[in-house]
Amino acid sequence: MPLHERDIHYFIDVTLAHLNKITGNEIVLRDPTIEFQSLVFSAYTGLLHLKGGAEGFAYLTASQQFLQHLHGSHQGRITEEDCRDVIGDITSTVAHAMHKRFGTTLQISEPRIFSTVPDDPIEMPPAVFVQPLIWRKEHAYFVLGLASAETT
Amino acid sequence: MTGTEIYKRTPAYEHAAREIRLHAPQWKLLLAYDGQRTLAEVALSAEVSFAEALPLTRKFLEQGWIEEQPLTLEQYLKRTGLRDVSATGAAVPPATVMHEPEKAAAAPKPLAAPSAPPPLPASPVTEKAVEPAAPEKSPVAKPSSRAMKLSAVVDFITSLVGNISIGQLLVYRVFLRVPPELLLAEDIASVHLVGDTSLIQGEKLQKAIADAVNAVAKRTLPDSVFA
Repeated sequence: MPLHERDIHYFIDVTLAHLNKITGNEIVLRDPTIEFQSLVFSAYTGLLHLKGGAEGFAYLTASQQFLQHLHGSHQGRITEEDCRDVIGDITSTVAHAMHKRFGTTLQISEPRIFSTVPDDPIEMPPAVFVQPLIWRKEHAYFVLGLASAETT
Repeated sequence: MTGTEIYKRTPAYEHAAREIRLHAPQWKLLLAYDGQRTLAEVALSAEVSFAEALPLTRKFLEQGWIEEQPLTLEQYLKRTGLRDVSATGAAVPPATVMHEPEKAAAAPKPLAAPSAPPPLPASPVTEKAVEPAAPEKSPVAKPSSRAMKLSAVVDFITSLVGNISIGQLLVYRVFLRVPPELLLAEDIASVHLVGDTSLIQGEKLQKAIADAVNAVAKRTLPDSVFA
């Protein structure tokens, strides 16, 4: 049974809730877009593949500076490993929350963490939903790609 | 706009430059238009995402600060040779085909992964642009007698749900059913879920959107979505 929009919105909700927990509710949402021709990848990305009630993927992609602020590294540059750890922790938390809510109705892959561009093939849907997020003038994007419009 | 357009700054810009007030990232984008690189390449070099570059470019066009630069045949042929955009000053790896519009109706295909891990980006955002469909494969948009306002369509669908954020996801589901090649034929590479200024002239696309609204939201588009 395909998930309802309310359930799909939980993917965004849980991501925002976690980021707001870290930032003290300072995440600002920009107007979302639907993209037909391109995917947005920032410096680091944590991606989850979805199967079952929703088929496709969801990912959070963020600039190095965004992750540096999240990491709390005020002195010196954050390392690549630190960035991967930060985006990996967020993605794992989101995956865990989604699994808790949807159980077996939604199969969620292990988080895939990569920098710049995916290192494995991605199934590209006809359109993706892009929700820009800003914190301390740094950008991140929540991106949802559903394989079809199947709805309840 | 598809990202393949080339813009240059105008004499009107040169005249007004001292009075223009913009934020630094907007200046960076404005100063990057050189009459040589495509919008997608300019956005990359200015470290602005494509989604952000589109409304800014529209604003600059409306202000008359930039204008589209027509290409000579030689320039066009040179550009279609799949040249590495990193050679043009872009700070990220060359664009990769992530989604071919003319094949959108078929099952999505896995994409080839890069052969080697990419270096850390100098730019914070990489936009994976798609090569434009060959002109002969683009559907011919037969104009309708009246234009459809994309913003009105988005607002109508959003209003069907009591929550804006959830309504925007319903809009997304509707547009998953609209063939991308019809949208791209009308230069619609993205839909802004707030304040989109696009007008849809093509009869086929208007019908596809109406059908998608009907199929997904079980509603008929009202006459008010037409200009």
